[in-house]
Parts: sequence; structure tokens; C-alpha cells
Amino acid sequence: MTQDSRFTFVKVDESASEHIAAPQYSYWKSVFRRFFSSKVAIFMLVLIIVIILMAIIHPMISGYDNLNMENINDPTSRFLRPSLEHLFGTDSVGRDQFNAVWSGTRTSLFASFAATAVTTIIGVIVGMFWGFSKRLDVIMIEIYNVIANIPYTLVCMLIMYTFGAGLVQLIFAMSCTTWISTAYFIRVQVMIIRDRDYNLASRCLGTPMSKMITHNILPYLISVIMTSISRDVPSFISSEVFLSYLGVGLGQSYASLGRLVQDAVKYIQSAPYLLIFPLVVAASISVSLYIVGQTLADASDPRTHMI
Amino acid sequence: MKKYILIRILKSIVSIFMVVSIVLAMIYTMIPTTKVFEQDPAFRRLSGSDAIFYRYNKLDELGYLDNMTMDDMCRESSDDYAACMISDSEENLRVLQVYEDKGYTIERLVKYQNPDDTSEATVDYIAHYDYNAFQIIFNFWTNLVRVDNSGFVNNTYGKKLSEPVEERYYFGTDQNGVTGLMCSGCRYKYQIYFDGNFPFIHQNIIKLNFGNSFPTNAGVPTMEIISRGQGEQASTEQTFPSGITQTSPYIQTTCEFMPTPDQASLRLFPDQYADCISAYTSPSMIMTSYIFGIASLILVYVIALPFGISMAQHKGKLIDKFGVVVINLLISLPSLALIFFLKYIGSFFGMPDKFPQLGFNDIKSYILPIIILALLSLPSLMMWIRRYMVDQSNADYVKFAKAKGLSQKEIFHKHILKNAIIPIVNGIPGSVILCISGAFITESVFAIPGMGKMLPDSIKVANNNMVITITFILTTLSVLSVLLGDLLMTVVDPRIQLSAKGGD
Repeated sequence: MTQDSRFTFVKVDESASEHIAAPQYSYWKSVFRRFFSSKVAIFMLVLIIVIILMAIIHPMISGYDNLNMENINDPTSRFLRPSLEHLFGTDSVGRDQFNAVWSGTRTSLFASFAATAVTTIIGVIVGMFWGFSKRLDVIMIEIYNVIANIPYTLVCMLIMYTFGAGLVQLIFAMSCTTWISTAYFIRVQVMIIRDRDYNLASRCLGTPMSKMITHNILPYLISVIMTSISRDVPSFISSEVFLSYLGVGLGQSYASLGRLVQDAVKYIQSAPYLLIFPLVVAASISVSLYIVGQTLADASDPRTHMI
Repeated sequence: MKKYILIRILKSIVSIFMVVSIVLAMIYTMIPTTKVFEQDPAFRRLSGSDAIFYRYNKLDELGYLDNMTMDDMCRESSDDYAACMISDSEENLRVLQVYEDKGYTIERLVKYQNPDDTSEATVDYIAHYDYNAFQIIFNFWTNLVRVDNSGFVNNTYGKKLSEPVEERYYFGTDQNGVTGLMCSGCRYKYQIYFDGNFPFIHQNIIKLNFGNSFPTNAGVPTMEIISRGQGEQASTEQTFPSGITQTSPYIQTTCEFMPTPDQASLRLFPDQYADCISAYTSPSMIMTSYIFGIASLILVYVIALPFGISMAQHKGKLIDKFGVVVINLLISLPSLALIFFLKYIGSFFGMPDKFPQLGFNDIKSYILPIIILALLSLPSLMMWIRRYMVDQSNADYVKFAKAKGLSQKEIFHKHILKNAIIPIVNGIPGSVILCISGAFITESVFAIPGMGKMLPDSIKVANNNMVITITFILTTLSVLSVLLGDLLMTVVDPRIQLSAKGGD
């Protein structure tokens, strides 16, 4: 048989064969594609970015200081209704509420993000080991039973009461017991995945525990962790607001959304705008973060990338 | 199973013990004692050594330290009381040394008769022993349960009485027709008694003692404050032990022994059991919180069950999408924002702004707080009902039921619901508790005189005993509710075994 002139040899291209066997898939690209397919999520994302930017930039420009009451003796600058000059009006001592609200938003956002970071980091690390080690489980489950049984609000108030008012105390109060529910949440997930066949195989092949956690289990948990974060941030905002409202939150030196609400409640009849603006901002933050977080959690689950 | 329940109860008691002990240690060691007196008007009026005496005396009452005045020390450790009471005498200094050796701190108080003239001064000593955290915790738990006994009066007030009281128990019916076990010589006259009020049999033998409230309602036991009625005193016509019949707010079955009664009390109570709690027209703090809690709980289940079920039934349809939006909105909205928003809407319907405006007797006072409480716990319950129902509807037995030709409605209501409701049942006792703790905000916003408002209020004025009392009550209730939830679950679904069988 002679060589057929109609055919030519081609080089074996290793990369092309890879390409054919596994379709092009990038995890993060899929996450973003999935995320940006939801119009509500995009809108909420824009909203939260605007709020965060305002909260970071505006206090820098205005230099708002909650203790600065320079207009306190000037009756004409008190209780001004919202106008172009004072977008959100002024309060009982003549402070511009637009500045106050953004300064307060910064404090509240900072407190809730910090508390979420603490809760998530401690919760995930502890939850991982808790889920893996049966010996640890025996002790931890008892600690969990003790802590989880105490009403959260009670814990927050007691801690703020004993440590006094302040930002660090607030973050501590909000995160000091919540980490254990995050850890418990992670523990349950780890226990489900731990005994799956691929992990069993991995263990048989001698993978160390630390590598099993970081390579086999953590990627699987990203959507779970995202869900937990998206629930935590709004709930911490909410906690900050009501702790400050009850008078056990931050001290006078900080403006926060909760403190603004607490100060405004007295004037609910005469100057309702004082109450409305901080509440609307707090509600927008919570709702948008929650929806963005939930969508992101859905998008970060690889199982939703199939289609 | 019995063994399991026993272990669970023991564990629950341990967790209550742990939580309250930690809170005690935190409050007593970390809050500066000066904060306790900041809100006390009586302390602010005092100055000099009077203020110091008052301060140590109050701190002793609150359990911070053991305070001894010269009088106490001389009575306890000296044979020659008169010599001991002379300041800086030999006997006086010897007694002081005894206490100093025991670990007491001695303070020398000099009081000038005339501020300008320093030569004429009276010297007095005061000794105090500061408890450490462990002693405070120990003292709290050992004093918590107070059991009444017939020797109480003679042992406690022996010196103040002209003659000892007769010590005896007897069964009897009093002048108002209340039957029960009475006691002479106990703290309470009525030990066990039966009357027409729920739960019909009452006792005064074992009481929980959390100390007295301070600085608000100073001197009244904290338990009494949260459990006695509120509002105006409610007088009824009743006969007193002396035979006099008159209208009075006293509840005679709660009377305690009064060591030094005045003439008016003696006229009504010749046996000196004259320290009575009064009846009030409005329910107590605990009752108020519970009325709101239970009412809102019923409302939540009435709304969430049918709504959640129909959401699961029509998954992906309009009602489901609408429900999911509502759930997400309610979960993410800060509760305070929700409360004020609903309050604002309510004002258009003539709902009162604050609870005390119309008070306990007007139904309008209740509507708005109950709706708000319900809406606060509604979204999570609805979400879980939907979740469980949807999960169950993929199960094999549902496919089997479909194959056998059952209608969709029949499957949902007869088969899926029964299985999906099991985890919901587990949460019912828990949500009773959640109502109370969630009511912190609602009660504060509406100024409802309940337990939820009491906690932030007492925190603001540094009312430590009240904070601990409420912590104890709330912790106990929530621990119990988890236990009851688990037990209720096994009743609803006999397949569930709480106790683990075999190894692993």
C-alpha cells in the first residue's frame, strides 16, 4: 500500500486533546457569569457599592465629629427640614444629618464587617477541626449546647454592660458567641463531606489532614461560607442598631446608625425625617448585602455551573 | 430513654449553672462598684463618713463584700462590749486586730463635730472583707434556694421579740376559706394552700432568692418585682385574722412575718404575719411578656403553616416567588426598622404609639406589638416549612403515592405534611422562648412593662441583681425549651430515638 496523497500526517497536539476532553471551564468566570445573570443582584451590588463608597469617602470630606456641637446655641440651625443645604436636615443640636448618617454608616458597616470577619475566620477554622475530630466533638458539642442556649441579645447586652461602651467592645460582644454557631454550621457540613468516598480514598492514599481540609473540603464549602456571611453582615447591622437603640451600644463619641435612631426616636412626631434616613440606609445595606450574598452563594456553588 | 432524659436534665442544670456563674463573675468583677451608686439618689445626698457607711452597707447587701461595723465586731468577738465600743481603747484595738488577721480591711473614719475645729472629732472603724469571684458565685448558689422552716422566726428575730413564737405546723382553714398547711414560726404563715386560682395548689416553702433590687425599687426582692402585678392596687373585701372585715389589696396567703409591726398591722394581723404582697389590677412583668409571646406565637403558626405549605405546593409559581421575596425582605430588614415602619403604618389606623397610652384594658394596645412580634419570627419559620416540604416531596414514598393514584392535595396534606412537621415541632418550645428575647426591642419601643424591657432598663441603672435574675430566668427557660423540643419530637415521631444505640 502506498501513501495516499489525499491524507497528510498531523502532529499530536497534547493541549488540543486536553481541550476536547474537558470543555473550557474557569471556576471564577462561571461564578461571575452566573452572578451577573441576575438583574436584581446587579442592582443591589451597585447600591451597596455606592453606600460603601459614600460611607468611606464622605466622612473624610465632611470631617464629621459626633462630639462637635458648634451650633448648639444657635436655635435657627436646629431641626431644619431636609433642604438642598442640609439634605437630611439637622438635629436637636444643629448637626447636619447628611454628614451624621454617612459617618454613622461607616461605623456600623465597620463594626458589622469586623464582627463578620472574626466570626467567619474563627468559625470556619474551629468548625473544620470540630467536624474532623471525634474527640473534639465530644467536648465542643457540650460547649455549644451551653452557649447556644443563651439568648443572643442577652449575651450582647451583658457583655456591653460589663465591658462598657465602645467600638471594640461592640465587635467583641457581637462576635464572641456567634462564632460557635458558624462553627457548628461548618461542622455539620464537614461531617457530611468527610466520609464521602473520594475523601476515604484520599485518606487511604495518605493525604495529611491539613491538605485534606484545604484541598478536598474547603472548596466544597465556599458556597456554604458565603451563605453564612451573607446572613451575618445584615444581622450584625441589625444588632448594632438595636443595641445602640437600647442604650447599651456605642458611646457618645461615635455616630452610628443605631445611635442616630435612638436620638431621633424622641422627635418621632415633630421631626420624623431624623428617624427615616438612618433607618432607610440601614435597611438598604441589609437588604442589598443579603441579596448580593445569597446570589453569590448560589453562584459560587459549582453544581449550578453545569448548565 | 429514661436514662437519656435524666442525663439531659443533668446537663441542662449544668449549663444553667455555668452560664449564670460566668455572668455573675463578669458582673461582679468587671463593673466598677462606683457605677452601682451613680444612679442612687440616696447615696448622692450623703457625704463624708456617712457616705462610706452607706456604701459598704449596700455593697454588703448586694453581696460584694462582708461589712462589719464596730457594733457588729464588738458583739461578735468581744466579752466587754462597752469597753470595745470606745474608740482606740485597748479592747477596741484588740478586736480590730482580730479582724485584720482574718483578712478584713480596716478603715478609720474620723468625723469632726465642727469642720473648722479639728480637735473635737469622733473616730469610728469599719471593716470589710472583699469576696473574690469564686466566693461570690458560691454565696449566690448557696443562698439561691431558700427553704422555710418553723424555727425561722425565733432564729432570725429572736433578740427583737419579747417572747419566742410557738413553733408548729397545722392543717386548717382560715377566715376566708383558704385551706392548707399553716405554720407558726416560719417565715410564711401559709406553707401549702389551695385556692381557686391557677394552678390551684400553691406553696411558700421553697422560694428562689435573688436578692433585692437596687437602686431602682430599692429593697424589694427582684423576683417580687417581676412576678407581682402592676398598675393600681386591686382591693377586695376580705376578713383578716383578727376578725375585722374590710376592703384591702393584701393577698393574705403571701404574708411574711414582720418582726416589728406597727399598730395598724397588729390590728389586722395579731399573729404578726403582716408583710403581705398586694394585689394589682394589671398582670405582672412575666405575665405581660407571656401574653404577648403566646399571642404572637399563635399568630405566627396560623400564618406560616398554610402559607409555607402552599408555597411548597406551588413551587416556582407566583405565590412561591412572592413568598420568597417577602421572606428575604423580612429576614434582611433590621428589626428596629421593621418595628418603626409598622408603627408608622399603625398610626393611620389609630393604634397607640406606646403601650401605656391606652394600657392593659384596651385591645388596641396589644394589636401592633403582637403583629410585629409575629412578623419578626415569621420569615424563618416559613422558610423552614417550605424547605422541609420541598425536601420531602422528592422522597420515594411520594413517588409511590403518586403511582398509586393519590391526588396532589392528598399527598401533601396526609403524607408530606406529617413528615415535614417533625422538625417544626422541635422548634415550637424554642420559639416560645424566642418571643421573650425578641421582645427586648419590641417591648422597649412600645414601652410595654414586661421582662424584655426590664433587662435593658436594669442594665442602664446598673441593677446587678435584676440583671442576674433575668439572665437566670431566660437561660433556664431556653435550656428547658430545647429539652422539651426534643422530647416533643419523639412523641410526634416514634421513629426518632434520642439515645444513641450501640458503639461508634
